[in-house]
Amino acid sequence: MFERFTQAARRAVVLAQEDARERRQAQIRTENLLLGLYDAPATPESTAAALLRRAGVERADLAVEITRLPRGEGTLDAEKLALLGIDLDAVRRQAEETFGPGALDRTRAGKQRRMFGHIPFDDASKKALELSLREALRLKHKEIGSEHVLLGLLHAEGGARDLLAARGVTLDGMRTAVEELGRGEASG
Amino acid sequence: MTDATAVAAAASSKDPHVGLAAVAALRALQESLEELQVGNARSQGWSWAQIAGVLQVSKQAVHKKYRRLGY
Repeated sequence: MFERFTQAARRAVVLAQEDARERRQAQIRTENLLLGLYDAPATPESTAAALLRRAGVERADLAVEITRLPRGEGTLDAEKLALLGIDLDAVRRQAEETFGPGALDRTRAGKQRRMFGHIPFDDASKKALELSLREALRLKHKEIGSEHVLLGLLHAEGGARDLLAARGVTLDGMRTAVEELGRGEASG
Repeated sequence: MTDATAVAAAASSKDPHVGLAAVAALRALQESLEELQVGNARSQGWSWAQIAGVLQVSKQAVHKKYRRLGY
């Protein structure tokens, strides 16, 4: 589903996964995508980051609040294995030294469990990404940029929408802001 | 890893849910490592019989399990 995503939007998704991993979450949540939008580089920042900055929403402020949110269901496989005295990071490192980067992820068991580093999207973030496509179509934009992902996050139910709503950012308001970007600014 | 180890130390090993989930994760890891090793052996020209011998399983079992994956 990421074929039509711009570089910045793709980067935001990758960064969301990294953020989820650092927070030791079992799934990627909309809040992680929101932070990813800030960190995705474009020229010099992603379109979504610029829109959020103009709306007065600060990354640092969001990050602090996200840290306070409950981590959600599920325990990482790394933690389960640690219980047995097995260091999954060490096993992964060993496997990659011998068989190349992402070796464990490529195996059938690795894919089925998505355990070895890959973190799946939760339902809300999946929905938000689907809606980002719909938002782009609605605006008759050919590519899905970070601004459309931002609209998707505002459209779908989830932590990101709640955080933004608490800061006065609404779907309608942001849709207008994206439309006003108009033809002058490239999507990114 | 120190974080995860701390989590492990804090968890109760008498809780069946925790213990069973850990074993399930281990099984998945074992499957993954086995697939890597079987694929490597095949790419080095090992026969299914040779692989089965070292893995200490039947030739039929290893062949049936991995043939479909294109090894």
